[in-house]
Amino acid sequence: MAGLTVRKNADDLPAEELQAIREAYRNAQQIMDNRGYNHFAGLHGIPNWWCWHHDHSQRSNVNAQLFLPWHRAYLLYFERAIRDQRPPNTEVGLPWWDWTSPRSHVTGVPEAFSNAGDRQPNPLFSARIVAPTANPPIDRMTRRSPRQPRELPTPADVTDVLNLTQFDDFSRQLEGIHDFIHGWTGGGLGDMGNVGTAAWDPIFWSHHCNIDRLWYLWQIRHGESNIPPNLLPMVLPPFSLTVRDVLNINALGYEYAVSLVRI
Amino acid sequence: MATKRKATARKSAKGAIKAVKGGGGAYRVAKTYKSPRAVSVKELPFQFSRADLEFIGVDHSGASYEARVFINNPNADQETPKTEASGYAGSFSVFGHGGCFGDVGHCDINQRRDEFDLRPSHPLEAIKKVVIATDAIKKAAAQSADITITVIPVVMSWTDKSDLEDVLKFDHINLVSYD
Repeated sequence: MAGLTVRKNADDLPAEELQAIREAYRNAQQIMDNRGYNHFAGLHGIPNWWCWHHDHSQRSNVNAQLFLPWHRAYLLYFERAIRDQRPPNTEVGLPWWDWTSPRSHVTGVPEAFSNAGDRQPNPLFSARIVAPTANPPIDRMTRRSPRQPRELPTPADVTDVLNLTQFDDFSRQLEGIHDFIHGWTGGGLGDMGNVGTAAWDPIFWSHHCNIDRLWYLWQIRHGESNIPPNLLPMVLPPFSLTVRDVLNINALGYEYAVSLVRI
Repeated sequence: MATKRKATARKSAKGAIKAVKGGGGAYRVAKTYKSPRAVSVKELPFQFSRADLEFIGVDHSGASYEARVFINNPNADQETPKTEASGYAGSFSVFGHGGCFGDVGHCDINQRRDEFDLRPSHPLEAIKKVVIATDAIKKAAAQSADITITVIPVVMSWTDKSDLEDVLKFDHINLVSYD
């Protein structure tokens, strides 16, 4: 585990780690070049449309089940960009939002992301969308109107999906839960409910971090390389990675351990 | 070995359109779907380990919604509990594109493609959604009941370009069973 970034539950972050993550997000949101938050958010939907959903990307003429590997690569690059903006002498990893937890079923979106901020705006609550080439151009803060927490998926819902043994089947069912969370979190005119602008909402990254974590848990159960072989050499643009490259999260430099006991 | 049974879908014009407050975010119920014919249990194999409802050709260009699927409950609506007793079989969700943000024609799916056209297919090409409905189908089969399907779309998120009345669009449903 030495040297690995440990991604943690968003509801269990120590105060100093949460503060470091906030500063990293805040710094990244102030950068408008290709190191910044606006650039990475714009890779998903509007205006660049690199994302893979439902076996399809606007950037490819191939149909393939790349939803999970593409988003793993996407989070990896985003996390690196955020880590570059972290305060000195701190460690930052993407936190995940477990929407099945008892706490989520009471509070919904994690508290760290649902507080608009007191003395200064909370960069985990909202972010500025700057998309001048969208039709019409967009320049506003993200918005979110989550539904009732009790509607969120349960642990049993996730267990059923984790018990599926075939990658295509698992990926499709997990993507279905993913779709629900997007609509639930956006609510009304919220950005998380729209493919085009979802990635600007800061909760997007923690939602997808949980999706990635669930793929990792599935890999532990069913095999890291349990994926159709024809997908392995496929490249995941705009990232210089193939599907094979993203199968092992430790090789990518991170881990999802819930606890670590040093003996 | 898969055995496929197909029920031809037709959008239903029935069903009230209601705006219902969901506490912390309004949601809307769009037009519901009721299967045009019942599937006889005789069309199903005697034994199966899994039964899926495949929704073929699902439109995802508009609002984001949850589609709640009920077996043999034609009166189901957005208030019907998602329980076995109510015939709830499962849901699928659509993460929508929110409507068309391009100029006129931008969101039209161009069918005129030849074998030399290497461009990606249109991003709004319809998708497939699969609901694993084994328990609900087995229950209906055990009761020797013909199977009808009702789908209640609950719209969760939208933009000002979204059609909120007619979100649930698909070509047909396959009822697929596996040994």
